[in-house]
Amino acid sequence: MSDILVHIETRAGAIQPVSFELLTAARELAGATGMKVEALVAAAAPQEVAGQLGAADRVLAVAHPALEPYTPEAHATVLAETVRLRDPAIVLLGYSSVGLDLAPNLAVRTGRPLVSYCVKLAAAGDTIEAESLVYGGKLRATTRAKLPAIFAVTPGSYAEAQTGAAPPEILDLTPPDAINKLRTAFVSETRPPPGAVDLTQADRILCVGRGIADKDSIALAEEVAAALGAEIAGSRPVIDAGWLPKERQVGKSGCKVKPKLYIAAGVSGAPEHLEGMSGAELIIAINSDAKAPIFRVAHYGTTCDLFDFLPALGELLKSGGTG
Amino acid sequence: MLVAVVLRLVPDLSGEFEIADDGKDIDREWVGMRLNEFDDHALEEAILLKEAEGATVIALALAGEGADRMLQSAIARGADRAVKISHSAEGGLSSRAAAPVIAAAVRQLGVELVLTGVQTPEDLFGQLAPYLGATLDWPHVSAVGGLRAAGAGIEVQQEYSGGVAATLRLRLPAVIGVQTASQPPRYVSGSKLRQAMSEPIAVLESDAMPAADTAEILALREPARSGEAVMLEGDAETVADKLHDLLVERGLVRA
Amino acid sequence: MAVQSLTLWLLLALAGAVSGWRFYRLLRPLLRARPDPRFDRPGERMLGVLRAVGLHERLLKIRYSGILHAMIFSSFIVLFTAIVEAFGSGLFPGFSLAPVGGNTWIAWLQDVFAVVILVGLGLAAWQRYVIRPPRFRGSNMLDATLIYLLITAVVLTMLLQAACAIAAGHDAAAPWRPVSRQIAVLLTALGLGGESAARGEHFFYWAHVCAVLGFLIYLPGSKHRHMILAAINVYFRSLEPKGTLPPADIDHPPIGVGAIEEFTWKNMLDLYSCTECGRCQAACPAYAAGLPLSPKMLITDLRDHLIDKTAGATPEPLLGGAIAEETLWACTTCRACMEVCPVHIEHIPKIVDMRRQLVEQARVQPMLQEALSNLQRNGNSMGKSPRLRARWTKDLSFKIKDARAEPVDILWFVGDFASFDPRVQANTRRVAELLHGAGVDFGILYEAEQNSGNDVRRAGEEGLFEMLARHNIELLSSCTFNRVMTTDPHSLNALRQEYRAIGATFEVIHYTQLLLELIESGRLALAPGSGQVATYHDPCYLGRYNGGFDAPRRIIERTGHRLHEMERCRENSFCCGAGGGRIWSDDTGVTERPSENRIKEALALGDANYFVVACPKDKVMYTAAVQALGVEDRIEVRDIVDLIELAPRAIA
Repeated sequence: MSDILVHIETRAGAIQPVSFELLTAARELAGATGMKVEALVAAAAPQEVAGQLGAADRVLAVAHPALEPYTPEAHATVLAETVRLRDPAIVLLGYSSVGLDLAPNLAVRTGRPLVSYCVKLAAAGDTIEAESLVYGGKLRATTRAKLPAIFAVTPGSYAEAQTGAAPPEILDLTPPDAINKLRTAFVSETRPPPGAVDLTQADRILCVGRGIADKDSIALAEEVAAALGAEIAGSRPVIDAGWLPKERQVGKSGCKVKPKLYIAAGVSGAPEHLEGMSGAELIIAINSDAKAPIFRVAHYGTTCDLFDFLPALGELLKSGGTG
Repeated sequence: MLVAVVLRLVPDLSGEFEIADDGKDIDREWVGMRLNEFDDHALEEAILLKEAEGATVIALALAGEGADRMLQSAIARGADRAVKISHSAEGGLSSRAAAPVIAAAVRQLGVELVLTGVQTPEDLFGQLAPYLGATLDWPHVSAVGGLRAAGAGIEVQQEYSGGVAATLRLRLPAVIGVQTASQPPRYVSGSKLRQAMSEPIAVLESDAMPAADTAEILALREPARSGEAVMLEGDAETVADKLHDLLVERGLVRA
Repeated sequence: MAVQSLTLWLLLALAGAVSGWRFYRLLRPLLRARPDPRFDRPGERMLGVLRAVGLHERLLKIRYSGILHAMIFSSFIVLFTAIVEAFGSGLFPGFSLAPVGGNTWIAWLQDVFAVVILVGLGLAAWQRYVIRPPRFRGSNMLDATLIYLLITAVVLTMLLQAACAIAAGHDAAAPWRPVSRQIAVLLTALGLGGESAARGEHFFYWAHVCAVLGFLIYLPGSKHRHMILAAINVYFRSLEPKGTLPPADIDHPPIGVGAIEEFTWKNMLDLYSCTECGRCQAACPAYAAGLPLSPKMLITDLRDHLIDKTAGATPEPLLGGAIAEETLWACTTCRACMEVCPVHIEHIPKIVDMRRQLVEQARVQPMLQEALSNLQRNGNSMGKSPRLRARWTKDLSFKIKDARAEPVDILWFVGDFASFDPRVQANTRRVAELLHGAGVDFGILYEAEQNSGNDVRRAGEEGLFEMLARHNIELLSSCTFNRVMTTDPHSLNALRQEYRAIGATFEVIHYTQLLLELIESGRLALAPGSGQVATYHDPCYLGRYNGGFDAPRRIIERTGHRLHEMERCRENSFCCGAGGGRIWSDDTGVTERPSENRIKEALALGDANYFVVACPKDKVMYTAAVQALGVEDRIEVRDIVDLIELAPRAIA
């Protein structure tokens, strides 16, 4: 019987959290279908992390220097070859910048269906029924794909698989020849400068979105953030427009944060943003659109105009203090 | 360098919209369409490349309602040519289905670099850039936040989470899924749009057949309202008051 | 004597050449500049010159300045005879004004006006150095001082020459020169007489000549050249209706002005005619708000840039260099500057022309870019779907007629803010119910209506303006109606003034006019008013631009309220700050919002309970201002329609 292949994403020698979520999903599906779970680690030294993948039944390790640091082409090559070799019924990838390239590429090379933005997977005979969030999170699509098929899963949809045990089996695979003929090369990496704010350590965050309208209104939000003892952050459009520096971005291509308090002002709540903050303890959302997806994860919300609300809140905070 | 930018119209769901009667798609009759936001960034990046390197930019789109206007706007933005791909399929094509059709056109035009938006709101079955890359067997990189010419190829910034980014160098030909242009998409004045309305749009017949989607949509609906936010009612002051009390209660703020 | 004559000829030739060359250099760019059709209707033009220059119409709006200027101005005219006498007799020995009264009434006038001008200069100096009104901030103090000194020199040398002549017994006009005679007495007492007096006369004659020639040479480089240029500038002023802007040919770029030499000759003449009086600066709401725009400095900066560029210096560009982009975007196009300028300089067309080029180059702030993109896409600046435009009608007690489908008497062009903004929709509904109750046959255009484009044009987006205008005109042409009515003064201006240039000819009225008609004809029966004290704010585009001052005031009175005018009322109304695209810009750099400034003015009246407005943007801006100032308990912003309370219907 074909198995479930989970693509494990690593960076700087660490396994990305979404990969552990995929293992949980895989175990669920394995339980329902009786399939086995195989985890593919393609890296310079896959053995070093293989021991963390006890949730899988088998680890497929592919070692090659070209696999680290990451380039899409190297990994797509290895993934396609692995799928050709192992012929899994289900392939799971995380919907990250890595998954964005690898999943469709694999779909074309193997001729398999692909369903993206999945938040829930359920086995149904020789098909998988998937639920995905589309249109900026405003709509939910239910799809059915006949196996073998590929699924790209949105981070935050599953709990991370916890296991102390090592995997029962580690299988070394040889990388395909094509890995020596790549047309993509890694040049350098940029990380946020040291001393730059680390939002992941902040226990209070005030995040502004497109609704803040312009750079100068950021000052208004910064005032309230200061009064609250919170770090100011922004969703992707705010960072793209240059109104806040990159290290203050929350979301898929920014930081993933789990603060005690997260206030989202003028943020619509697209899945890419929710990915970055849905784990916060107390989420307050301000958005004039009552149907904004952010209200689905927020604990409290208001449709007040943020330009009226923020100053009002600022006043109350200034006359008090931070706890 | 010959650069093609693939532009797509997507439903504008910022206003009201409805689900179609069959429950599997949105009602497309009344919904407004607009240029996919990431494609806008891809176009801007292409124009920046043209300004920096003298690249020639072709605006590319599948034939369909509104395609002409969209392509003419691209010319007004600075694209050199506009090409509309006519194809056999009726209605819209998903990115997967459209990939072979667009790939054939790309080959016909002799393009060396294809830019398109990293995703559309409708990419349930996957995104165009990697589909094109795989179909053409060209290297591809998505989630790109800026690119520039480097020697015989290009260098791109791929963005990951946590503010981390990597610079990758690719040999041409290549496909890039643009997430953010190096500068925000610029404004195009009404007069430039007017002038562009008289620009000819070349039509390319594509012999390639669209690919099959291979998965089936069972239902499309608004997500269930479970575990939803408690809405605070009142005017700004009242709500701020309520929230302040809440924060005090939770010990996050001193009274 | 011949030597004297020759010397004078030489001096005159030299001074004339230098001055003439300096004037030529100044005016040379005008000869090469773009054309400007200002040569029509000479009678009307001349009349304007007589009123501006002869009657000092605008100058007298600041009484002190107007009077002192009239004194100096009239003295110049009279004392010109002295210059004629001095030069004439020097150049052409034997020449004299005696036959026409040079020794009698002309001499008397010269003496009297010599004192008048010195008093006028004294008043001017007092104002400039002691009172120091804020409108002079940024004006060239040195230039002004030199002019005072030169004029004083000319006048004093003239007096002293006459005094010496009297002391020496030369002056036949002595009996007619009371002032010079007194000075002569003083000189004689000081020991001057006979020989020395004659030498003194000779000395002061030449000193007078030198002062005059010095003045002549200095003049082209000084703001005092308005002496010559003012009347000419007023003559060539624009006679087009106030609410129209000069068109731009969007099919033939470049559009607008990106370099100083692209201005028309009249625009350049404006720059040279500026007297740096600062009245425009004092009237400008952007300047009062702390934004980097002073209409006066704009004109003088443009002038200096033109001079520099013509002389071959400065590689600085016009846009973003000589004039900052923020300066250009700060203008609300309220027209207060043009309303008060004594030499009729046209500030706004210059700003709009430069904005046009900025728009072409995509040099627009993100908020404005978003608003313009929304207008391009959806025909409204909010980016809302056109289908939502008539949503405000949902809660009405009746269905408004669709003017596209059936003929109506009044076609109501609602406007963006009145349709989409929740703060204004309540007013819009009220207007609808009132009209319906009064039996008015009216209809709206529902989702086909698009932004009138008035502020789009003023933001410099000509292409988009034309798109919107053509759409609306085509739409209106296909409808059957008698008059167009609008709640929005900006739309009123576009529909009534701007669209006319593109072929539209319908009659457009403001809703206050219609409401007044209904009140006066009895179709709206009013309840006795609450007798509150109300102050009324004239919207720029209804009042200053379109002369609509009275209908709202009569409604205030008819509804039983007492009108207490603010000082800056009617043509001098102080803009709320939202026009010209400013409502699509952010508040950076604003130290005091014009709307808050205005509310404070209303509060200072002491007894006004209502701040009455007749424009949706005013409603929005002033409601926000009252809230921001926290004075809701002292003054209430009310639209005209809110004042109308109907008499209870008699029970049948």
